[in-house]
Amino acid sequence: MRYPFPVGKSDFIQGDEAVARAAILAGCRFYAGYPITPASEIFEAMALYMPLVDGVSIQMEDEIASIAAIIGASWAGAKAMTATSGPGFSLMQENLGYAIMTETPIVVVNMMRGGPSTGQPTFPAQGDIMQAIWGTHGDHMLIVLSPSTVQEAFDFTIRAFNLAEKYRTPVVLLGDAELAHMRERVYIPNPDEIEITYRKLPRNEEEAKLPFGDPHGDGVPPMPIFGKGYRTYVTGLTHDEHGRPRTVEPEVHQRLISRIFRKILDHRDEIISYETFELDDAEIAIISTGIVSRSAIRAVKILRERGVKAGLLKLHTIWPFDFEVIEELAERVRKIYVPEMNMGQLYHLVREGANGKADVELIAKIGGEVHTPMEIAERVVG
Amino acid sequence: MQIRFAGIGGQGVVLAGVILGEAAAIEGLNVVQTQDYSSASRGGHSIADVIISKEPIYDVMVTKADVLVALHQLGYDTVKDSLKEDGLLIIDTDLVKPDRDYIGAPFTRIAEETTGLALTVNMVALGYLVAKTGVVKKENVEKAIRRRVPKGTEEINLRAFNVGYEEGSK
Amino acid sequence: MMYLKSAYEIRDKYMRKDMLPTIFCPGCGIGSALQFTLRAIDDLGLNQDEIVWVSGIGCSSRVPGFVNFDGLHTTHGRALAFATGIKLTNPDLRIIAFMGDGDAAAIGGNHLIHAIRRNLDVTVILINNFTYGMTGGQVAPTTLKGLRGTTAPYGQFENPFDIAQLAVSAGANYVARWSVFNYLQGMNSIKKALQKEGFTLVEFLSPCPVSFGRRNRMKTSPELLRWYQKITVPLAKAKKMKPEELEGKIVIGEFVDRDRPGLVREYEAYKKRAKKMMGWEE
Repeated sequence: MRYPFPVGKSDFIQGDEAVARAAILAGCRFYAGYPITPASEIFEAMALYMPLVDGVSIQMEDEIASIAAIIGASWAGAKAMTATSGPGFSLMQENLGYAIMTETPIVVVNMMRGGPSTGQPTFPAQGDIMQAIWGTHGDHMLIVLSPSTVQEAFDFTIRAFNLAEKYRTPVVLLGDAELAHMRERVYIPNPDEIEITYRKLPRNEEEAKLPFGDPHGDGVPPMPIFGKGYRTYVTGLTHDEHGRPRTVEPEVHQRLISRIFRKILDHRDEIISYETFELDDAEIAIISTGIVSRSAIRAVKILRERGVKAGLLKLHTIWPFDFEVIEELAERVRKIYVPEMNMGQLYHLVREGANGKADVELIAKIGGEVHTPMEIAERVVG
Repeated sequence: MQIRFAGIGGQGVVLAGVILGEAAAIEGLNVVQTQDYSSASRGGHSIADVIISKEPIYDVMVTKADVLVALHQLGYDTVKDSLKEDGLLIIDTDLVKPDRDYIGAPFTRIAEETTGLALTVNMVALGYLVAKTGVVKKENVEKAIRRRVPKGTEEINLRAFNVGYEEGSK
Repeated sequence: MMYLKSAYEIRDKYMRKDMLPTIFCPGCGIGSALQFTLRAIDDLGLNQDEIVWVSGIGCSSRVPGFVNFDGLHTTHGRALAFATGIKLTNPDLRIIAFMGDGDAAAIGGNHLIHAIRRNLDVTVILINNFTYGMTGGQVAPTTLKGLRGTTAPYGQFENPFDIAQLAVSAGANYVARWSVFNYLQGMNSIKKALQKEGFTLVEFLSPCPVSFGRRNRMKTSPELLRWYQKITVPLAKAKKMKPEELEGKIVIGEFVDRDRPGLVREYEAYKKRAKKMMGWEE
């Protein structure tokens, strides 16, 4: 297989470009999108690469159609992705729910910018954390990953595809405008250095008849993709294990939605990932995700130099959320600080996790600039 | 080392930052390059930041610049406070009137005289910077120029870079 | 003499028994359009496993659930956007979209226009009953002026869309309109549409006595049929009529039949061009 970019070596590229290259290496062969700052460069890279690797890149009429197209592509057997920013992500919520309900593996990238509404198109923000988790209507479960470096943008994109395929679920990659346009040295691996997952396909007719069942007991049904003679019917209505609409039986709805929750929550240990810095003996914990984590690491160093026993918990998966690890941390630190580029979103999850066992303080910053390390450190020393 | 380029849209400020960053990446150094520009594609301020280090880099933008390369008064005025007190200010001496110590040359005029194109000013300034600071090796910048400039313009950009480098070596 | 299979034979061959009965009301025209489509597939001998049915939301959009094919019942108005992903990923699949007038022309209007502009390879069977049947008889973008719906109880005051003409203007390869009582013409049009590349659309004026007729003094299907006979004008005749004579009339017939390259063919050529431009192949 020939790739339209160098593999097995480092390159100096933007976050957006890293996402596109990772998608290609993860096996993504369908991209649909709509131009939007600061995610357009992902689309432009996909537009350049896809025809060369016999994939599809197509500009749709809006973001609603973009996510619709990738869901269709996924049912036809392709790994598929779209990328956008706040305004487009809002438009995608309807079909994000459809992808959850129909258990369609897709990857949706949101390079967050200042909002609400058109807001600050070229400036970073983290205002869509709650929307990524809870944006679509109804009870639902999905996976949200959040990178802080261009290398992570690459690595987490690969992971996003693997998780989407493994658990037959949409995965949201939450970046931001800073990361989207930032260039860093990134290692682009050879394909044989990366582990790649493809969805479970039915092994026999029996399994194919249960596209929304649980024949393996792990909550994840094999996916009878179109054109293989399975005659699969897929609907956003509440449906039984066979896919038949069953909209007035409470127990059918309970069974379906519970399994969609369970297939992810039962595999929390595999899905959740985080990194810690200087946390073992910490009395002060900083908890952050995404771009702010860079400043938080520096803040920990500054604080340690000043004799403050600070440490950092840097969350890579922000949904499902690891409430347990926060509670355990809250039991052994004096205080938890949550720096984020919004008016308080991750903060609420951390507070729920801390469960009153430690004070949790929000360090909110909006307007389009990432917290400086000093801003975080100064709040900690007071 | 934190290096900041400041100018106006259309001067190729971001490309200068990208090429410097790429040269650092070629040398195996850690490097972060970010930019800040107003919405206007032409004429608004344009800032490119490059942070180069052997250590992991956590900063997302220049906080205290070791070097500020100013190609236009508007860019200079926007970010002059970010330059360290003992930092190095490099300016286009025709276009920037600084209020502190500086070094520099009339980069735009040199660009026009060398290549006939004012828009190669970014390469002239980059050459000057590399000569004055030695932050990356000259040949790696040349390699990065070949990779990053539009096809067919490699030679003209290299010529501009080398003239700037000579100017900076004087 | 044409041999017609019995409706039971068609039903047993193509419908999902475990999904019957359908949700359609007595007198509804969707079943007729569905029967034409299944008969067209049968006559052409198309492979059932190479057809995907897509739909949005509404009464007509429930059709893919009743037929024994791969099917994607999607969100309101978006069926053609989903279809774009299916078709480009696996061009061997033939796609039939069952859409209602509200689904296609209101909430999905932009997707419809752009799917046609791209000449997406899909056959749209459009059920036009001038109303939102499933939600209880609200006016639609196709409701003729003066007709009543629950959201314009004093009679529609907006101008209606002519979906077939819209499809012609946007560049569809094949567009026809019939009422569901034009049995042979309707079925033949679907057969033609299914054999063509690019975007094809067959619109059916389809009775909805329960949600639409009831509110417009036409409580039964026969009454709606008589009304269709009154307001429809065959294309050949319409060409000889003056614009003022056509006021309030709906022209039926075959509006366009052409062979512009479809999206799949265009994209295949685009891929070749890309590889050539990048020096990947000669």
